[in-house]
Amino acid sequence: MSEQQNIVVESGSMGRVAYARIAPNEDLVLGVEKMCLAEGFRNAFVRGALGSLVDACLGTRDGKYLEVKGPAVEIVSLAGEVRPDSDGSLRAALTGVVADPEGNVYGGPFIAGANPICMTFEVTLEEWLPAK
Amino acid sequence: MTAETKTQHSRPRTLIHPGPFNPVRINSLRSSTARHVRLALQPGTSLYDGLVRPLQELGIHAASTTILGGYFDCLDYCVAPPDPSGQAVIAYSQPREAGSTYMVFGNATIGKNMKGDPIVHCHAAIRTEDGAVMGGHILTDTAMVGHAPIPVLVTSLDAFDLRVAFDPETNIPLLQPVSGENHE
Repeated sequence: MSEQQNIVVESGSMGRVAYARIAPNEDLVLGVEKMCLAEGFRNAFVRGALGSLVDACLGTRDGKYLEVKGPAVEIVSLAGEVRPDSDGSLRAALTGVVADPEGNVYGGPFIAGANPICMTFEVTLEEWLPAK
Repeated sequence: MTAETKTQHSRPRTLIHPGPFNPVRINSLRSSTARHVRLALQPGTSLYDGLVRPLQELGIHAASTTILGGYFDCLDYCVAPPDPSGQAVIAYSQPREAGSTYMVFGNATIGKNMKGDPIVHCHAAIRTEDGAVMGGHILTDTAMVGHAPIPVLVTSLDAFDLRVAFDPETNIPLLQPVSGENHE
């Protein structure tokens, strides 16, 4: 377990805010990380997000994958954060609810690299500034 | 069957869109700070009016909002199957009537359409009148707030605009961030 994950309470304040439209075929999770690179954010919270995926891939507790086939799979709710990992790389952890092309819903953590955007993804990130 | 549990995930699919590839894949803009507002959507108003009117009075024209759950007397939504015409990869379905609906959680983006009028793009998870939990694109002008106010957290984007612009790659109009004339 990294040092980051051992933190129980982290005080801080909100900083800048950014909005992005992420284009088709980009990965949802890696796209949010790259948006943080573009804006210079090192810690951030998702403040709003919606869009669609080609197919969705959600993690399960036993290490398996729940795949929801599209296109499109609509992102109907999303929450998450971006934090630096113990090696200094950026890591987004995103969780949410998706709807398949019939409107049936599924939920879970989005697997990085396995959730390509279908038409568009609109996301607002608010920078989190941990107190030193 | 649209969902399946697997021990290894499938390789992501790269879809081919009708228009030219845009080399800008992440179109982002930022503000030095965000304003936050708590709104209460009022009974009897539409989701569109309940969001847009109070924010206009505050001078907020671009925002991301979280709808924190509540009842609607009526609500229509669309799902997103493949476009049968082939003009785009996906086209919204005809509206589906959910009836008297509980919105479990929603996100709505507020921006401007091509004419400069306010637009609300909302996706939400809902419990429909028949009890099924569904999700999709909410038609905000016909979703009527029920008997109790619905709380909304607004994060305003003050340094730039969100405008609907035609996106050649996907061949549909989409909300995009644009540097505003009157902004920093």
